[in-house]
Amino acid sequence: MEQIKISKGFNTPLAGMPDIGIVEFSDSPTLGLSAMDVPYIRPKLLVKEGDRVKTGTPLFFDKRDPSIQFVSPGTGVVEKIVFGERRQLHEVVIGPEGQDEFVEFEPFSQSYLSAVSRDDLVNRLKQGGLWQALRQFPEKDTADAAHTPAMIIVSLWGSDIFSPDPGVVVERDAAAFEFGLEVLKRFTDRVVVTVKAGSLDRLPRVKPLITHTVPDIYPAWNPGAVLYHLKKDSRENSSWCIAADHLIMAAKFLMTGCYPTEKIITVTRGREHRPHVLTRQGARLERVLGDFKEGEIVTTGRFDGRKVEPESHLGFFDNTLNIVATPDQDEMFGFLRPGKAKATASRAFLSCLFSEPKETDASLHGELRPCINCSYCENICPNDLMPSFIMKELLSDGIEDALACGLLDCCQCGLCSYVCPSKIELARILADGMDALYKDKQG
Amino acid sequence: MNPLKKIFDLSEPHFTGSGRFGKLEPLFDATKTFFFLPSTANRVMPFIRDNLDLKRYMSFVLVALLPVVLYGIYNTGFQAGFARNENLGLVPAFILGSRFVLPIILVSYVVGFSWEILFAVIRKHKISEGFLVTGILFPLTLPATIPLWQVALGISFGVVLGKEVFGGTGRNIFNPALTARAFVFFSYPVSMSGNVWVAGLSPVDALSSATALAVTGADGGSITTALSQAGFTLSNLFWGSVPGSIGETSALCCLLGGAFLIITRIANYRIIAGGIAGLAATALLFLYLVPGTQGGWGHAGPLYHLCAGGFLFGICFMATDPVSAPGTNPGRWVFGFLIGSLTVVIRVVNPAFVEGTMLAILFMNVFAPLFDHVVVQYKSSKRIPNV
Repeated sequence: MEQIKISKGFNTPLAGMPDIGIVEFSDSPTLGLSAMDVPYIRPKLLVKEGDRVKTGTPLFFDKRDPSIQFVSPGTGVVEKIVFGERRQLHEVVIGPEGQDEFVEFEPFSQSYLSAVSRDDLVNRLKQGGLWQALRQFPEKDTADAAHTPAMIIVSLWGSDIFSPDPGVVVERDAAAFEFGLEVLKRFTDRVVVTVKAGSLDRLPRVKPLITHTVPDIYPAWNPGAVLYHLKKDSRENSSWCIAADHLIMAAKFLMTGCYPTEKIITVTRGREHRPHVLTRQGARLERVLGDFKEGEIVTTGRFDGRKVEPESHLGFFDNTLNIVATPDQDEMFGFLRPGKAKATASRAFLSCLFSEPKETDASLHGELRPCINCSYCENICPNDLMPSFIMKELLSDGIEDALACGLLDCCQCGLCSYVCPSKIELARILADGMDALYKDKQG
Repeated sequence: MNPLKKIFDLSEPHFTGSGRFGKLEPLFDATKTFFFLPSTANRVMPFIRDNLDLKRYMSFVLVALLPVVLYGIYNTGFQAGFARNENLGLVPAFILGSRFVLPIILVSYVVGFSWEILFAVIRKHKISEGFLVTGILFPLTLPATIPLWQVALGISFGVVLGKEVFGGTGRNIFNPALTARAFVFFSYPVSMSGNVWVAGLSPVDALSSATALAVTGADGGSITTALSQAGFTLSNLFWGSVPGSIGETSALCCLLGGAFLIITRIANYRIIAGGIAGLAATALLFLYLVPGTQGGWGHAGPLYHLCAGGFLFGICFMATDPVSAPGTNPGRWVFGFLIGSLTVVIRVVNPAFVEGTMLAILFMNVFAPLFDHVVVQYKSSKRIPNV
């Protein structure tokens, strides 16, 4: 087991760490398949309202590659298809009816896995709606099946600081996880399995499978950060990554032939220590969120997630829900207060002397100002980027210079925006730059 | 509800949009956000943000300047009394000093802020916090004897031509406070040349006093002897009880402020450390390797160079202005080092100017983007290409 040394990142202790226990909320009034959490997708619907679907029935596919399909997380009737502005597909809502009926496939045994051709394996995963769990760098689009990646990075920790603990998620399915790693070895010669050094003790069964540990600093476990610190060659830029819970899903699907509907998520709010939640794919958020007040927003990752509405449904890529307060009162003389409880990466508040966990809210804590060159973003970027310089290149259409400065090495952890005292949306500007470039490349 | 908040809420319609004083919206906004830190909800990722904002960032520089300002006021009064052969106590000296210094600070803030508001109104953007610092730094670089109209003219030049013509805070090439000082220095050399820097003296008496850097050793005598004969012993220079510009005399107060800025990471320590290293290295070079007269500043050694004149004030508060300094760490080292080095070179070699700090910093401000460019190019070349 090797250590990956990453020293820069988010060090502030935060309040609200989930408990290791599990509560079960498996029943959900409606189930949904979201298209909002899938990057770059151009969905094309396969069903209409009123259609009956089984668990595993494709509901829509990606127009860019029709073989990438997205399948129903439950059995029942398509109740509603939710569109947003300009008829952008948000989600397909299913009213569950009775017991799960599965679209069934021939199960794969361990011995069959070594005999089956790579193409058959890819097709089976695509039919099962699980191929898209594999993402390809640098844009993290759905992996290109024709490409052989230099490495596949499996991260045992999700994107948020309080993502589900692998001791809870992975340990209970260690056999499936091991099977999943065998599957990945059919696609590449190098499978990298990373875990936070701090959670290693809770992983007695999975420990022998782990290849690298990363420090407990957000976002050291982000596959983008891992790739940046491991790569030695530009061929490795197009590596793949997959989350451990998705790998387990894919393995279970291959082993049983049925779409696995279980999902473990964490829900965090303020200083509460809520247990992990065992629920199902596409569960209605209201069912798992528990109590929360008006004025609080729900995100799928406080740094790099998206904002979700409580009446929507859990996406395929979501495994954390943060309930974050939005303060409704402007603070008097806010900039002069000593700030003993204020979370900060700087040294400008008294709080930096105390290690007790800090609470955070969804406020900007200031106003937009011009960049003053303070280098706070550079000092926190895990991938040694200089976000302020890249931002200036992008805003002046210097795309070549932005690329030379490492734009595509950005792992979109959001820390540059977090830390900026001028409140510039650095992460957003960099992400937009990458997106524009990617769409341009695709033609 | 907070009564103050109520006043702001009630008067807001008059100061926004098509309100009667709609044009003064930036002024209203600046006043309101001074009292109430705005808390807009985040709409895009990341949903949580650091508590540090530019208001706090800039006000920390003001906190760091407190010892310098207080000591500057006291010392102005003390020197004025000393020149009249009175040994003033702490309070009388402070009161006498306030009479000279406070008007200068006031004029600087009022005139400078008027320009800021004017530009904010025309450009329809918010008033940036940068001027909070500029408005106090500039008076501290001036002698207490400066006529107030020169202060007004200087700060106008600094704000308008030093900052606003480039696009405002964050886009200026030069440090605005130093630009203002350079303007006064070159336009009104009589007020700034160093022989009349004790407040409250008639012009006749004034000739009896000079700043440390104007001292030279007479007839083969060493510079250090000449300095202590004139009252500029090393300890006086360190504690600051010597005549000079308002804020520059006390090395100790500048170091305290600098240390505060370094600990709170508002200023980058690389600039200050690089500057002191550059100054020491160059001073030693002149002391041991370059032949010259015993009486010149070339033979003063690093400690005298450090404590005399405005170097510590400049390197701690002016050179660390993040906007006009380089934005890369190696660039900051070089930037600081060259400021220190150039300061000594100008002091020793250039007979036209006794003090070199201001010119060294302004000169290096011009080079800051070049340092950044070289560092960015180098760093990019070391990356594994990803295109």
